[in-house]
Amino acid sequence: MATEPAFVAPTTVQEALSAMQADGALAVGGGTSVGLLLGQSLIEPDVLVWLGRIPALRKITVDRGQLNAGAAVTLRELSWHPAVRSSLPALAGAAGIVGNPRIRAVATVGGAVAHADPRQDLPPVLVALDAAIEITGPAGTRAVPAADLATGPMETVLLPGELITTVRIPVVPSLRSVYLRFTPGSTADYPTVAAAAAASRDPDGTLASVRLALAAVGPTVLAVPEAAELAGQRAPSAAAVAEIADAAARRALPAGSRLGSARYVRAMAAVWARRALTDCLSR
Amino acid sequence: MTVRLSLNGQPREVDVPATASLLDVIRDLGLTAAKAGCRIGVCGVCSVLVDGLPVSSCLYLAHCADGADVWTAEGIAKVRPEVVDAFVRCEGMQCGICTPGQVVAAVAARAELGPAADESQLREYLIGNLCRCTGYATILQAVKAAADGH
Repeated sequence: MATEPAFVAPTTVQEALSAMQADGALAVGGGTSVGLLLGQSLIEPDVLVWLGRIPALRKITVDRGQLNAGAAVTLRELSWHPAVRSSLPALAGAAGIVGNPRIRAVATVGGAVAHADPRQDLPPVLVALDAAIEITGPAGTRAVPAADLATGPMETVLLPGELITTVRIPVVPSLRSVYLRFTPGSTADYPTVAAAAAASRDPDGTLASVRLALAAVGPTVLAVPEAAELAGQRAPSAAAVAEIADAAARRALPAGSRLGSARYVRAMAAVWARRALTDCLSR
Repeated sequence: MTVRLSLNGQPREVDVPATASLLDVIRDLGLTAAKAGCRIGVCGVCSVLVDGLPVSSCLYLAHCADGADVWTAEGIAKVRPEVVDAFVRCEGMQCGICTPGQVVAAVAARAELGPAADESQLREYLIGNLCRCTGYATILQAVKAAADGH
């Protein structure tokens, strides 16, 4: 019979990292996902390492064109933060509609990323915004592009003993971002599809970068590299945008669920990818 | 392992496993306003305030509440009777299962959105408190009345 797990609440990243070296250690941000998985007996951790008491991980800072959100920042804090609201409205908006107010008061940025549920709101926005996930481990610190963190549903590149410490998001003044979510049932339910788009422009108005990511259409968040083809243009045609959206739908790997058959989800992927791009490029 | 917290203004000390939820602790202490409903953070009947913020106590690890100020609907009814009065006056309940959670949500909505919150903001805020009887109209009236303070 498994022994009762331990609970530790370190106050520094160093202490947290030490605690994470124990066999069966699991980092806990707010505990909403961990509580859910524990309640359903889907995980059996030996040590719960709660990050909520580490001041360094509870900060949002803006520094040299980059917004840094500590892993233990709550979604509520992220959604209300003035710098996030003004520079990265899609991120503030996405954080502000996750679940319900009780989830947002507790769930964290690090948890949302580490949980790697492809139906969740934050990951596609982070992929569209070209965020980097900073990971600290016994071998040092590494940064993984948000698009490369998840390897499957609830599976990531995180190694045992590693800890997500910060999510770093580039902020450029010309950046425009949108996040659209299609929730045909309750808006508190998972989406049938969600789409995040981000675009920046050169001073002359030419698109410098265009990024698109979809959620809920496959085992991980889907990055759509074809969106970059719109860079260099000033006002892409509706046909060009539709082509990118169709490419996104072709890349989707929907399984089909109560929220839509695989065929329906793929069709909706094209529709919502097009809407997100069109909306983003018109801003 | 020991958790020390303030529950409805009273200091409490409990010895619970690492995996215990705050809801388990509250129920074991004999308070029954917060209930185990869906157990996945969706239905809202386990709503409580932790340091002023609403949480689903079913998904909140008890040890995360060490040192916290926790309020359930029982405590809110004592210190903020006008909120409960608003629900009674507006008939914002039918079977009553969801009511303690709605009371917690009313207090949290007032704190987060302020007294000037409009109906769509309040509707959005109450998204996580399900009622299967009334159809929400009178609950919304009660929350508004509670927010207005009359």
